[in-house]
Amino acid sequence: MTGGGMMGAFVALMATGLPVAMAMAGAALIYVVVSGNIPDFVVVHRMYGGVDSFPLLAVPFFIWAGNLMNSAGITNRIYNFALALVGWLKGGLGHVNVVGSMIFAGMSGTAIADAAGLGTIEIKAMTDHGYSKEFSVGVTAASATVGPIIPPSLPFVIYGMMASVSIGQLFLAGVIPGIIMGVTMMLTVAYFAYTRNFGRDVPFSARKLFKASFEIVMVACVPGTIWLLWTMGLPGGWATIIALGLLLVLDKLFNFAAVMALLTPVLLIGGMTFGVFTPTEGAIAASIWALFLGLFWYRTLDWRRLIKVTMDTMETTATVLFIVAAASIFGWLLTVTRVTDAVAEWVLAFSSNPNVFLLLANMLLLFVGCFLEPTAAITLLVPILAPICVRLHIDLVHFGLVMVLNLMIGLLHPPMGTVLFVLSRVAKLSFERTTIAILPWLIPLFITLGLCTYVPSIVLWLPRQFF
Amino acid sequence: MGDANEHVIGEGGQFHVTDEAVDLSIYGWEDWATFVLFWMLAAIVFYQVFTRYVMDDPAGWTEEIARYFLVAVVFIGAAMSVRKNNHIQVDYFYRLIPAKPARVMSVLVDIFRCVFLGYSSWLCWLLILRIGSSRMAIVDLPVGWVFGAMLVGFVVMFLRSLQVAWRHWKQGYSVLERPDVEGSM
Repeated sequence: MTGGGMMGAFVALMATGLPVAMAMAGAALIYVVVSGNIPDFVVVHRMYGGVDSFPLLAVPFFIWAGNLMNSAGITNRIYNFALALVGWLKGGLGHVNVVGSMIFAGMSGTAIADAAGLGTIEIKAMTDHGYSKEFSVGVTAASATVGPIIPPSLPFVIYGMMASVSIGQLFLAGVIPGIIMGVTMMLTVAYFAYTRNFGRDVPFSARKLFKASFEIVMVACVPGTIWLLWTMGLPGGWATIIALGLLLVLDKLFNFAAVMALLTPVLLIGGMTFGVFTPTEGAIAASIWALFLGLFWYRTLDWRRLIKVTMDTMETTATVLFIVAAASIFGWLLTVTRVTDAVAEWVLAFSSNPNVFLLLANMLLLFVGCFLEPTAAITLLVPILAPICVRLHIDLVHFGLVMVLNLMIGLLHPPMGTVLFVLSRVAKLSFERTTIAILPWLIPLFITLGLCTYVPSIVLWLPRQFF
Repeated sequence: MGDANEHVIGEGGQFHVTDEAVDLSIYGWEDWATFVLFWMLAAIVFYQVFTRYVMDDPAGWTEEIARYFLVAVVFIGAAMSVRKNNHIQVDYFYRLIPAKPARVMSVLVDIFRCVFLGYSSWLCWLLILRIGSSRMAIVDLPVGWVFGAMLVGFVVMFLRSLQVAWRHWKQGYSVLERPDVEGSM
């Protein structure tokens, strides 16, 4: 049996509906048993080695922080903030949907969770205000994909692990593309609002807009304050605690809507860019912050909800990292049996132009993204595609962003996108109508994808400022 | 979230959704075991961050032990998804083929899953016998304890997979064939 045979066995097992992780590890086990040149317990030893990693500890804590923040109390605050900021525009709730998703993207790292949980609220709010289900579903689906692009992001953690790339750089690489996605989607909302004569959903209020803008300024002030205290000679931990303490006093005085939630990504990115902490420590700090807000500050968590949120976190962590474990034995065997080399030779014989390769990779990733969950697709494809990128001098941070963006668009793409299914169930809209509803929203996403693929400096400019 | 009949934006032009009720009876005993492990992991890493950033004197053992707890949480926690049968899987081809072959394929998936998990449990045991007595890097404990957690995880997954296979056999369909039916338990 060859490595190619193992690949075939994996695809066949996966197509029968066996869980992806078990298809990977199962195919590896079959290969090891049949070929007989490696002791078979190496399979579980490699699976263990795939999870025994400090960077991967970021996964459970990013999931936990996101889940802890995803309670009704904090959701209301974020949407009310978005409503004050952009709700008065024509097609207001569409804009609120995009802005709300971008804020949530800064707290959680997955797209499907955003689609299911927030999608229910967003779609209901929009249909209550007379928007068609099609428009509501379209904007909700499109804006859910921004979740893993704006840091923190689980797919980036997994990609960074698999491709041996700095997770901090990947996080920074996502910031500008995430903003471009937000802007192009809001332009699409504005286009619909203009052509279909949408009205305003809430009256314009200068006071509310001012208050929301003031909150953004407050958020921007926090890292500056920490830095000031730090230059005055305080240890980083104490500087942060004092700055956050000041903020809490201000919060009691002004009753901010979203400052606390907006702060998570700002502190994470700030801390990582200045090398104060690793992504793992950032994830842990974000969890502590979320626990503090939920248990003591907003009191949105009682003990029953805390148990449920923890259980949900464990479940997602275990399913995602079980795949990573299985992929580490499967990917290792693909490499040692030289399947990855053979694929690279084959692709490079076809074309050694990086732009052609990127186009082909985009098509492959969009296709795979329609069928496979993003983390599964990343663990499967990185060992195959990353060596080709290295040979073609494509930056792996750039490629990581392109890969994740593709896989996110794949979630919306007919015939099989997962987000399509989730939202058609949430909105009680047939699968066919949901598919058609989403089509116009692929335009802003493909524009962003094209820009990020062929203008690498959009992606790489920010990480290069710091690394 | 929220009541189906109530608007999510109230009269005052503000969002006011509410959380849905929590049902804790859906969790099995292995979930509670993972729950305890998860909180121990959280306590360890919180302690690490605290000693590093507030005390400025990081504890040495925490990083290694935290990694081992992560391994335990992943492999024992994966049993929850085996029981609920919601590990990430591709059910696309079930839409394309008729019911009879779909039934056969689904039974084969159940059998393969049981065999794989059973065999992996055995491999974990072999792993403990071969290198289980070597010591951890920083903490002076046998690394076999971590493999032991993996063994427990695979055995629980194996038992749950037998249970799920038996349930599918008795009810005559699986979630692969009928994705609209939520898995029980």
